[in-house]
Amino acid sequence: MDELELLKKDWKKDDTARYPKLSYNDIYSMILKKSSSIVKWIFIISMLEFVFWLAFATILKATRNSDKITSMESSTLFIVLSVISYSVLGYFFYKFYINYKTINSTDNATILMENILKTRRTVKQYVGFNLAFMVFSIIVMLPYAINHDERTKSLIEKATANGDVFKFYAGMALGVFLVLVVTVGVLLLFYYLVYGILLKRLNRNYKELKKLEI
Amino acid sequence: MNKELEHSFVEQLEKHQNIVHKVCRLYTNNQDAHNDLFQEITIQLWRAFPKFRGDAKFSTWMYRVGLNTAITLYRKSKRRVSTQDFDAIQFKIKADEYDDTEEEQLKLLYKAVHQLNDIEKALVFLYLEDKNYREISETMGISEVNARVKMNRVKNKLRTILNP
Repeated sequence: MDELELLKKDWKKDDTARYPKLSYNDIYSMILKKSSSIVKWIFIISMLEFVFWLAFATILKATRNSDKITSMESSTLFIVLSVISYSVLGYFFYKFYINYKTINSTDNATILMENILKTRRTVKQYVGFNLAFMVFSIIVMLPYAINHDERTKSLIEKATANGDVFKFYAGMALGVFLVLVVTVGVLLLFYYLVYGILLKRLNRNYKELKKLEI
Repeated sequence: MNKELEHSFVEQLEKHQNIVHKVCRLYTNNQDAHNDLFQEITIQLWRAFPKFRGDAKFSTWMYRVGLNTAITLYRKSKRRVSTQDFDAIQFKIKADEYDDTEEEQLKLLYKAVHQLNDIEKALVFLYLEDKNYREISETMGISEVNARVKMNRVKNKLRTILNP
């Protein structure tokens, strides 16, 4: 006899004694409780990511206590970069919201997984954009900052007089590079830990479903 | 959500609760995990209930939400550690219903099913619930041909587990 047929025979037997019989009140109390589904966690973490990058930009603005940064901020370049940054935030947030709303537990398993992964991908793209934007801004703004900062200018003049100008620039480039590597590294580690754990099962199951496609 | 909707939902779920228990049975190994999953499926069913139009049977609709929760939405809880095992408690098969060989075979079969991955368990579940390949393919979002192919693979895998 086919193994599954034997199992089916047993599966279909009267199962009233096998399972606990929950009362009306037991079930009613359950619907009042809060979900701890993966979608809820994805929503919370994604919101934290949006807030993190918004706070990051706000804190940067709040530190503008010297005239030189204020003058830099009023430069056209800085305004353009800010407009791009906020427009992109608006776009990604809208996309995230639309994707999130499409997650529906009554869809078929494949579509449900795809919608969850799509929602995650939106936030991932946003974070990727921020990282790229951060690197780009630093590269673009650095020459501007050097040329407009009196202290840096005098340091360069001093280094030029001592014949150490190459060393000065190399040191600065290395410093900026290290800061970027550490920042990106910490964020990637966060990603690896949080999403590695949270989405491991979903990714595995999605691959398993897709594996069926001949 | 109004009281009438709550009442209608709870009443129907109370009537069809065994479907949820059966999903939990395949996807969990102990009572605490079973209760956790049951709770989450109930919440997901309740959330989806306002959109339930009644053009499908309540029980059929439950299969989809139940399996989706077990496979995708449910976040396994690590906080509970249970020492109890299902075999020892509520799912014990009554000895007088089976002869020894069949009972032993069934125990091994259930154990083997537990070793399958989440998707394979879903296919087995739908098969045990007498769903045809069209229904299986619709629930899983795969083609009918793939549902057949995969089901054959699951049968072979079970045979390999049972006869290593």
